[in-house]
Amino acid sequence: MTASGGSLCRHCLLPVGRRALQQSVNGESCAFCCYGCSIAFQVKNGKTEEWEAAWLLIRLGVGGFLSMNIMLFSLLIYGGVFTGADARVLPFIDILLLVLATPAVVILGGPFLRETLLEGACGRVTSSALIVLGVGAAYIYSTLAAIEGSAQVYFDTATMVLMLFTLGRYLEAAGRARAARDLEPLLAAERENVVVVENGTEIRRPVREVVAGTLVRVRPGERIAVDGVIVEGASHADEAVITGESRPVEKDLGSAAIAGSINMEGLLLIRSSGSGTATRWAQICRSVRDALMRRSPIQRLADRAVAAAVPGVLLLGGLTVTYWAHWLPLDRAMLMGVAVLVVACPCAVGLAAPLATSLGIGRLARHGCLIRDAGALEELARVRVVAFDKTGTLTLGKARVVAIETDGAPTSEVLALAAGLERYSEHGLGRAVVGAAAERGIESVRVRDVRAVPGRGIVGRSDGGTVAAGNRALMRDLSFTVAPGLTEQGWSAEASGHSVIYVGWGERARAVIALDDSPIPEARATIAALRARGLRTAVLTGDLAPAAHRVAAALGIEDVRAGLTPEDKRIALDWHRRSRDVVAMVGDGLNDGPVLVEADVGIAVGTATDLARETAAVVLPVGGLWLLPWIIDVARAVRTTVRTNLLWAFGYNLVALTLAALGMLQPIIAAAVMAGSSILVVLNSLRLERLPDPVSSPLPERASAAESSRSDISFPAALGPAIERG
Amino acid sequence: MIYYLVVFVAGFAGSFHCIGMCGGFACALGRDPRGHGTTILRHLLYNSGRLTTYCFLGVLAGALGEVVCTRQGATVTLLGGSLDAAERVLAIVAGLLMIAMALQFFGVLQAFHRLAIGFGSSTFALSLRSLLTTRSRAAPLAFGVFNGFLPCPLVYAFAAEAVSTGQALPGFLTMASFGLGTFPAMLMMGGVGRVLAPAWRQRGVRLAGGGILVLGLITLGRGLLPLGAHMSHGLLGGHPI
Repeated sequence: MTASGGSLCRHCLLPVGRRALQQSVNGESCAFCCYGCSIAFQVKNGKTEEWEAAWLLIRLGVGGFLSMNIMLFSLLIYGGVFTGADARVLPFIDILLLVLATPAVVILGGPFLRETLLEGACGRVTSSALIVLGVGAAYIYSTLAAIEGSAQVYFDTATMVLMLFTLGRYLEAAGRARAARDLEPLLAAERENVVVVENGTEIRRPVREVVAGTLVRVRPGERIAVDGVIVEGASHADEAVITGESRPVEKDLGSAAIAGSINMEGLLLIRSSGSGTATRWAQICRSVRDALMRRSPIQRLADRAVAAAVPGVLLLGGLTVTYWAHWLPLDRAMLMGVAVLVVACPCAVGLAAPLATSLGIGRLARHGCLIRDAGALEELARVRVVAFDKTGTLTLGKARVVAIETDGAPTSEVLALAAGLERYSEHGLGRAVVGAAAERGIESVRVRDVRAVPGRGIVGRSDGGTVAAGNRALMRDLSFTVAPGLTEQGWSAEASGHSVIYVGWGERARAVIALDDSPIPEARATIAALRARGLRTAVLTGDLAPAAHRVAAALGIEDVRAGLTPEDKRIALDWHRRSRDVVAMVGDGLNDGPVLVEADVGIAVGTATDLARETAAVVLPVGGLWLLPWIIDVARAVRTTVRTNLLWAFGYNLVALTLAALGMLQPIIAAAVMAGSSILVVLNSLRLERLPDPVSSPLPERASAAESSRSDISFPAALGPAIERG
Repeated sequence: MIYYLVVFVAGFAGSFHCIGMCGGFACALGRDPRGHGTTILRHLLYNSGRLTTYCFLGVLAGALGEVVCTRQGATVTLLGGSLDAAERVLAIVAGLLMIAMALQFFGVLQAFHRLAIGFGSSTFALSLRSLLTTRSRAAPLAFGVFNGFLPCPLVYAFAAEAVSTGQALPGFLTMASFGLGTFPAMLMMGGVGRVLAPAWRQRGVRLAGGGILVLGLITLGRGLLPLGAHMSHGLLGGHPI
């Protein structure tokens, strides 16, 4: 089973759950989640030479032939054709119907009976049991009646119910396959083969055998399965799965090829830069597989409802028969009981959630957005507040050092020490300091025992003394003295919204590094789009208030909380949750990890460090902030679909059940109604395919306007030349 | 009786349209290497499978017509009209449908044609093809059953006619006559193979269109002409009501 794709159905890619159905198709053992899928898969993929696939169709065809003939005669009987003088032939017709019905019931009912027995052996009663019981009652009663020669037989009921259920399951499974078509490439990634060029010959190899340096040939229209560099050929590639954006990206000699992207028109030869299973694409595929296998809370609830419903329906069926038997002949009462059993088959309820969620997850994955599980998708739809971390999320996170003010220490020494510390930091500001040192050709000082102080900065030891780089609070915590002049410089830089790093050693703060970080271009449009969807936005940042306010004002975010430690952020999230329900936290970087877990939905934007990636429930691709409104749209659409599905399935069942118990529904109509119900659920879910793709907004004018207006803010003149002094 | 003969003839004429699609199946069913008798058996099984489906559709259509008639008949009586009014409406609708089907055989109303055919039948048909080459004796029967359900304007037209008869038995007989009418051409296709030239195929489609057009006009007339229902019943042998 594991060989044939984990515990996902081979046909519709839903989890097979407990109902796994093993069958060999084309000489390969496949697991299916239901009878319908096994039919649909064999109809679609069964090879002509494959006896089993054809045999299934033949059985269905012959079953159809028999049951249609039975239905034909029965309709004519009901139509009053055999009345008067012709009534003599009725007993013979009954016998004829018995002869036709027996093989039909065996052929069509076999799979249902087998499922019932298998589940029954494990002590479970499933919906198949309802069908088996209903059909069995109608068949056995009619057989006895036909042999006795009494008036009424119900072979048509027995066979048509089976026929309609089989047909319904087939159509439903065929519909589900359309959903699977989109997921297929995502799940096939690990099994995928690539054309490897070795000593001038091309060999097909599984992608997991690819190592760094392997030459891989990619034909037009194929998916590039490895990360690497193009060493031959030129083409365009669609990198939607990595960037979220579906547009051709030019590729020629020396360009980087990204696994998961689609090679559009040219023949490419790519030198792989790493193992074929270590790519982000492989990671996406693994996480999609995991997500599909987890059941969402709503699904678990529906499953429990289904499990509880079956015995209830059996009871109701029994009660119906007992009640009506008082007033009507036994056969009519039995027919009503059969109608109850047949109509209450809770297939649609079981289908309501999983199909819609897997469509949603697949859709997001194809644009590089990963969802941990279906539950996260449900939460995402309920989100009312989106809180952002500032640095690296709303801003580029690529701060530049714009000024260094010292209390006399040489700038080069300050930078060397600060870079020595910040080398170990994941924080955007830290990287900027390291970058500034490298730019100036300053070698960083070796620092030992480095530890990050979340929300404060970074501390280490060098030449026996404590060295630190971080905010004013860190200096205070370490009891470093800060010269008044330096404090003033720091304040004035902060007041104009710049980020500030104090660098200290020898029990004293020695310098202030002022950094500038600009909002990412699409942030403003993203925030506006979120607000248009009725969401509140907030900034929760460890940075200083002026910088946070400056960015928030530029982006149109109303709620700003700055200078927060992770603990503070958690409290802020709690506050939001208490006052406004479900909160999503968007972030990256070391500081966010615990906060992302704490939020109802943690969303990490691509540049996230590994810790954050593990803690977040949703991961967006690199630079994928603009996808945020779209994923919320998808999540909401999925939720709406699941809800309408459930409403429909439950409502429909209740109404139909009531009608059936009142004796107002013929079993055959009930079966048709039931089959139709599942198909409607599938069709409703498939509407999700029509969701629009994300559109990256052509916005930057506004963002750049904000940027230029910000650059007008005069930086304290005294700081200006400081950078030159280095 | 005459009525069913007319349907039979129309089915026969119409079956020249079938040569396009179903004829291909009949050819593919081909000859059985085990001998002449087995070949004939294969084709008979295939065609009886098809016939069963048609009859089934006919009965259903007739029963549907019956439901519609009884219901509407009740309201019409309320208005003081004749009991035949609902039947007439059905006849008019069915007649118009048939005429529309017929016209598209002449190349008019192509959009309608796409509507009738475009139900993704091709994938279904393709997967069914596997049945044709299976050596099982029951395979042709199963294939015939499925084939009967493949979307086909001809079948739709006659199903509409079956609805307009307004009862299960005449509906059954209508579709049975139609199905039997298609037997000769299909059996011929199985035996003769690909003898018919494309030009003939074109003529066949015209012939099919003509047949349906005539039947459509008769049906329409039954609904429209004063006392049309009675006249056509009398003229064409009527339905055993």
